[in-house]
Amino acid sequence: MSSATHRSRLLHVGLTLLGVVVLVAVFAPLLSSHDPKAISGPALESPSARHWLGTDNPGHDIFTQAVFGARVSLAVGFIAGSLTMLAAILVGVLPALTGGFADRSASRAVVVLLALPGLPLIVLIGSLAGDSRLSVISVIAFIGIAPNARILRAQALTLRQRGYITAARGFGGGPMYVLRRHLVPGLAPLVVVGFVNWAGLAIGLEAGLAFLGVGDPTGVSWGLMLNRALNEQSIYFSGMWTWWVLPPGLAIALTVLGFTFVGVGLEPTFNPRWLRAT
Amino acid sequence: MGCGAQPPSDVSALVEVDELRVRFGADVEAVRGVSFSLDAGDTLAIVGESGSGKSTLAHCLVGLIQPPEASGSVQVGGHEMLGADPATLRSVRWSTAAIALQGAPFNPVATVGAQVAEPLRDRFRTSRSKARRQASALAEEVALDPSLLDRYPHQLSGGERRRAALAMALALDPQLVILDEPTAGLDSATRRDVVARVRALADQRGFALIVISHDLPDAAQLAERVMVLYAGEAVELGDTRRVIGEPAHPYSWALVGAYPVMSTTKDLRPIRGRAPDPRLVPPGCAFHPRCTQAESVCRESHPDLVESRRRLVACHFGGLKELLRAIGISKFFHGGDHEVQALDQVSLTVNEGESVGLIGPSGSGKSTLARILTGHLAPDSGRVLLGDVELEASWRGGAARSLRRRIQLVMQDPNDALSPRLTVEELVREPLDVDAVLDSEARRGAVAEMLDSVGLPCSGPFLDARIHELSGGQMQRVALARALVLRPKLLVADEPTAMLDASEQARMLTVLRERQIEMGLGLVLVSHDMAVVRKVVDRIVVIDHGRVVEEGPSQQVSVVPSSLAARRLVEAAPAFVALTELTDRQHCDERST
Repeated sequence: MSSATHRSRLLHVGLTLLGVVVLVAVFAPLLSSHDPKAISGPALESPSARHWLGTDNPGHDIFTQAVFGARVSLAVGFIAGSLTMLAAILVGVLPALTGGFADRSASRAVVVLLALPGLPLIVLIGSLAGDSRLSVISVIAFIGIAPNARILRAQALTLRQRGYITAARGFGGGPMYVLRRHLVPGLAPLVVVGFVNWAGLAIGLEAGLAFLGVGDPTGVSWGLMLNRALNEQSIYFSGMWTWWVLPPGLAIALTVLGFTFVGVGLEPTFNPRWLRAT
Repeated sequence: MGCGAQPPSDVSALVEVDELRVRFGADVEAVRGVSFSLDAGDTLAIVGESGSGKSTLAHCLVGLIQPPEASGSVQVGGHEMLGADPATLRSVRWSTAAIALQGAPFNPVATVGAQVAEPLRDRFRTSRSKARRQASALAEEVALDPSLLDRYPHQLSGGERRRAALAMALALDPQLVILDEPTAGLDSATRRDVVARVRALADQRGFALIVISHDLPDAAQLAERVMVLYAGEAVELGDTRRVIGEPAHPYSWALVGAYPVMSTTKDLRPIRGRAPDPRLVPPGCAFHPRCTQAESVCRESHPDLVESRRRLVACHFGGLKELLRAIGISKFFHGGDHEVQALDQVSLTVNEGESVGLIGPSGSGKSTLARILTGHLAPDSGRVLLGDVELEASWRGGAARSLRRRIQLVMQDPNDALSPRLTVEELVREPLDVDAVLDSEARRGAVAEMLDSVGLPCSGPFLDARIHELSGGQMQRVALARALVLRPKLLVADEPTAMLDASEQARMLTVLRERQIEMGLGLVLVSHDMAVVRKVVDRIVVIDHGRVVEEGPSQQVSVVPSSLAARRLVEAAPAFVALTELTDRQHCDERST
């Protein structure tokens, strides 16, 4: 199987996975009849006709939680991904294009940020920042800025030197024209791929944070589900884990995988030489 | 009516022509207002292409064309030729002014000797034997074997007949000899002999000489002054050395460039367009449709022959316009704590339609200069003027941008200069998209036309290709098409063939020259390769260590360089060994004659 077909298959698989997650998130109320936050049955009940995946400790329906959790995850992924890329553009691209003092200070800031260890930082800030979901998203977005800014800055600097930018100025193209016609198409692929990748990571990070107890304890998310599941002492002994740990865990894994596959699969679309060379 | 090179004198001038006009039939104006004067013993060459009215002018000088066709005034030796009675014409012809007609026409049923002696017998009633003796003497003077005089014209070769015609013209020792195409159709050796003979005779006998020719080099050797005719009128009149060496009128310049001579290394430069039909001479300046610097005034009003650049020129701008002038350009680069001077007070001029080679070793500053000329780099001191407008360092403002568009740059590496994301069509169309003047249909047409003109396919799958599918030569031609689509006035090509292999290099240079001629562009070609540059450019400027070390016509700088840098470049230029020996020998021969 050639690389190109392989990649396009990955893209299809990824899109399918994400498609499923999106559908589930959108049609959540239709898929389950229970309220995810309401106690709808006896605690720790095994899967039944009424509760497809059983109930958790306080008595919430697990299936409903899983289904509504998709909404949270997707929201987190999308918002965190967007915030990260926006900030990365501001910090990485604009200073590189204008040059001078702005560029020098921005690149130093990025270097400092890159030096910081990601996960411990996120846990630290998360626990200090508070329990709101917004602060969780902000924290996740924050640590994504530096690596993406570095990639975008490098590309912006490369593009700026290219002969065709010089030529465009020679035809009388102003800075806005150059931005629109050459710089944006040159950076857009990196922005899109970066967004997709970081969205996936954000979902995983959010789940991780929720699992660690950072974030809104009253919310509905896959990570929180795992947190509660693993706090239950007998989770592994009774086979409960198959309907309480596995579903959210699998959901997280598949969603992140879906984002990753899409990210990898999208690359050839933006790189014409790669497309034709294979 | 005086000519810049001579003091005005009505009485002593041998020939005085004033506003001569000749019209045949209702609509053919062969001569449209020519004025000049010639003193005794002076020489004048009248040059121009076929149909410019030269022969007609010559015929008027001996009264062969009379009113009503001819109007104006032609005075020879004090006699007015137009409207003169037969007696006056007879007295002037052969004894004051004699003409050797084009093609040396002789009566085929009489011997050459009889015809050469005819003026003598006719005027002085000389006896046949005496006339025969005088004819033999004349034949010897023109280096014609006297025994040939007994032959009939068809038994003589072209060169011999020309000499016989010359002998006939000299028979009555005239004050003015007019030669109409004395060397046309002769082989080069004969040509050389005829020219030498005429020069010697003019010196010995002291007659005034008017040479009519479409052959510029020959005419230049025979006369001190030259008059360039176009469509029946004089466009330039002045010292031969000046007019041929530094032609002012765009037509004279184009004419000089179109002649193959050993002293030029550059390829022939054909003049675009065609000489006008005498029935349909363009309004205003007759040359304006073929002129690279024509503006609306050239179409609207007719330029007079006026004094400009130490000669007479008929051009609204006084001659070739200056297209680009860089004055005192200096540029420093700061690297860490030391400073490098890339350019030191460099000045450069490019005229309309001219091509200038900027040559120097690596690091000489030529690429820096190219970037400064095209406005991509600001000089630290000095100015760049396009026409008479100064190029600002900043890009802001609509006026600055439209000025910039008139100078375009072709870069060395087409991989860098062309975006990998755009198709060929989008690449060539980009300047039009920025300009946003034409609609999309017109843009597509312009793109197709430009691609075709550089020898690339203008339709089909090629238009949708991206640069990684193209060869180096194709990419560079796409870059050229892109640079030309806005019809700039000046093109700066920075080492355009450096990344191409030999065949692509040849193709690229051919296309570049052709486009330059067709579109009337000025060209600055930056290179380190003397062999490449001298085939393409009129003038070479040599740069070394940021300074101009030598400047001159390309045949001079590339064959007999005076500066060390230029000599090194000539030596370093690639050459096939056998060919260099050949050209060396040819140059030695040329220099010795």
